[in-house]
Amino acid sequence: MSFSVMLEQLSSGMLKSLGIFVLTLVFSLPLGLLVSFGRMSKNRLLQGVTKIYISIMRGTPLMLQLLVVYFGPYYLFGMRIGGVYRFLAIIIGFSINYAAYFAEIYRSGIESMPVGQYEAATVLGYSKAQCFVRIIFPQVVKRILPSVTNEVITLVKDTSLSFSLAYAEMFTIAKQIAAAQTTFMPFVIAGVFYYVFNLVVAVAMEKIEKKLSYYDA
Amino acid sequence: MKLLEMNHIRKEFDGLEVIRDISFSVEKGEVLSIIGPSGSGKSTLLRCATMLEKIDAGEILYMGERAAYVGEDGRRVYPKGEEAKKIRSYFGLVFQNFNLFPHYSVMKNITDAPIKIQKRGKAEVYEEARELLAKMGLSDKENAYPCQLSGGQCQRVAIARALALNPKILFFDEPTSALDPELTGEVLKVIRSLAELKITMVIVTHEMSFARDISDRVIFMDKGVVALEGKPDEVFGADHARIREFLGKFNQ
Amino acid sequence: MKKRMVCLAAAVAMTVSMVFGTAAMADERTTFTVGFDAEYPPYGYMDDDGEYTGFDLELAQAVADYYGWELVKTPIAWDSKDMELESGAIDCIWSGFTINGREDDYAWSLPYVNNSQVIVVADESGITDLAGLEGKIVAAQAASAALELLSEGGDQADLGATFGSIQEFPDYNTAFTELQAGSVDAVAMDIGVAKAQIKDKEGFTILDEMLNAEQYGIGFALDNEELRDQVNEALLYLTDDGTVSELAEKYELADMVCLADSADEAMTEADTELTPAETEA
Repeated sequence: MSFSVMLEQLSSGMLKSLGIFVLTLVFSLPLGLLVSFGRMSKNRLLQGVTKIYISIMRGTPLMLQLLVVYFGPYYLFGMRIGGVYRFLAIIIGFSINYAAYFAEIYRSGIESMPVGQYEAATVLGYSKAQCFVRIIFPQVVKRILPSVTNEVITLVKDTSLSFSLAYAEMFTIAKQIAAAQTTFMPFVIAGVFYYVFNLVVAVAMEKIEKKLSYYDA
Repeated sequence: MKLLEMNHIRKEFDGLEVIRDISFSVEKGEVLSIIGPSGSGKSTLLRCATMLEKIDAGEILYMGERAAYVGEDGRRVYPKGEEAKKIRSYFGLVFQNFNLFPHYSVMKNITDAPIKIQKRGKAEVYEEARELLAKMGLSDKENAYPCQLSGGQCQRVAIARALALNPKILFFDEPTSALDPELTGEVLKVIRSLAELKITMVIVTHEMSFARDISDRVIFMDKGVVALEGKPDEVFGADHARIREFLGKFNQ
Repeated sequence: MKKRMVCLAAAVAMTVSMVFGTAAMADERTTFTVGFDAEYPPYGYMDDDGEYTGFDLELAQAVADYYGWELVKTPIAWDSKDMELESGAIDCIWSGFTINGREDDYAWSLPYVNNSQVIVVADESGITDLAGLEGKIVAAQAASAALELLSEGGDQADLGATFGSIQEFPDYNTAFTELQAGSVDAVAMDIGVAKAQIKDKEGFTILDEMLNAEQYGIGFALDNEELRDQVNEALLYLTDDGTVSELAEKYELADMVCLADSADEAMTEADTELTPAETEA
């Protein structure tokens, strides 16, 4: 296999990794917020359920969760799986796993907000929702950004776990090329790709952090 | 006309009675100061009046309408939704530690609620906000962020923010207690100017001479009850053991 | 909030039913989904153009063409092969898949390759026979035939017990890298894969003493004999028309492919079944 074909193959795998990365963030960031609401809810049942959910998601390996999400529908409900569901399972698996981590990050940020901010907003006539959207959440974002950056960078590397469902993202392809060509080269290239990917993520997050640094909390 | 009436208010925290059966009212255009030792329940009373704390007995009336009360069965009845919004629009509150929104500029701190909550026109609100800032001596700070201001400037922005909603009554919860001594003067000056404009105010304060100077009426609170109430000279000159002790400590 | 949650749940339910619904509707077979290990040259691997190919996949393509099915090449994680098959994600495992020891676990096609499990060592290790492996570290792919053979209950368990240890690896390439690096002393693997692995490398030997002789087949779910029979029929046809031997030449497996023998046996069996009627007549 020529070097250019190898690059081309790994690039197509990279696109798939990127797809997993972007879709996971698109779903897990809002889902995490919902979960954090449940976790902080005064409703004991809701609080208990989200607590267990977070505990399971953080307490079991992501690879196992991917297998359960993918094969679960068959073993539990006898549904036929395969085809597009392989990709869906990866997105679902990653999203619910990362939502649990993001939920705890949101919670730490929301709970760190001084009560005075809520009180000021309440007296000024903001409804609970308006208060959260306009006053609390923007400040929470600034507070949790460093932790979110950590998770996002981990996610870039975690996309490689999709190999356990043999989805042809970059790492899976690197392994396949390495097997066919009996060479270590694809792993080196994959490593460089992951590093560059993360470098871009880190720079982007730094930009956002800078953009939010116009005020001190 | 009575803008605010609080009748037989009781409030406890975990069984500890902080306010016991307090009643008072505020007339339109009146400046009422509430003084008293720490822990006497002044701030709690203010927080009850602004519905940040829920009362355990009594009733609160704004503009003669019953805003919140505790029924005979001990059930608290507080307004919800639009009703709550309407009642909250009657008053403004200035906090001890400002509670400005750090992510908003000075201008946005002042204009966000009038535009987003009261749905007033942007141009009108901005014009009014600029007038308020001029009154506060902060015309050059409209684009600054709270973190770039001194404590005294922050508190003046907080006052402007409360005034921008055109409340009928303005509460101050120890507005200078968090400030360095040399900064209290500028804030007191602003409050004094508001008094001259006949804006109805209820001020919880430790600034005795200031309270004596600008108030129409003074309430001295002690151990959760109103110990003395009257014109400033009456209260400050009263031959009452507790207030003499209290004022004595201040003059040391 | 509650309303939104309900909407979300409904959307999820709809998506799920769409995804699974379409999969379940495939009554009349139009596709043939083959699960394979994409790290298993020469049977299934990524070729120089980045396409999945190999002896198994090309043969599968020929079978699909025979019936006019669309071939879906689905790389699988070898550890998950049974779950993939049971759940219907793939129609069969076609991936240099050893029959021996798994006879009752799948509906097997005709055996198509005579394989053997062998040991690969580095020349400089000085190991020349199976006895020389005593106390050595031997690598094998997880869930592979070689591993099963050497582990407890396998035909070569006694030999396996003499090893220092058996290291499991997710794929042969990793095992081979370890062998090159000297961190393992030998790799137990399929002879075809072994030949492919050492083709471009110097300094490695396949021990003459083989671990066993075994056969490859295509594994179908036990309740899917219908598809198995269809594939068998196609294989017999493709043996007759020379496609199989052509592919065997191409992948240097000519001395191993045994479909012709299987075909003969199948014919003989068919003949025997017919015989009684003929004799009576």
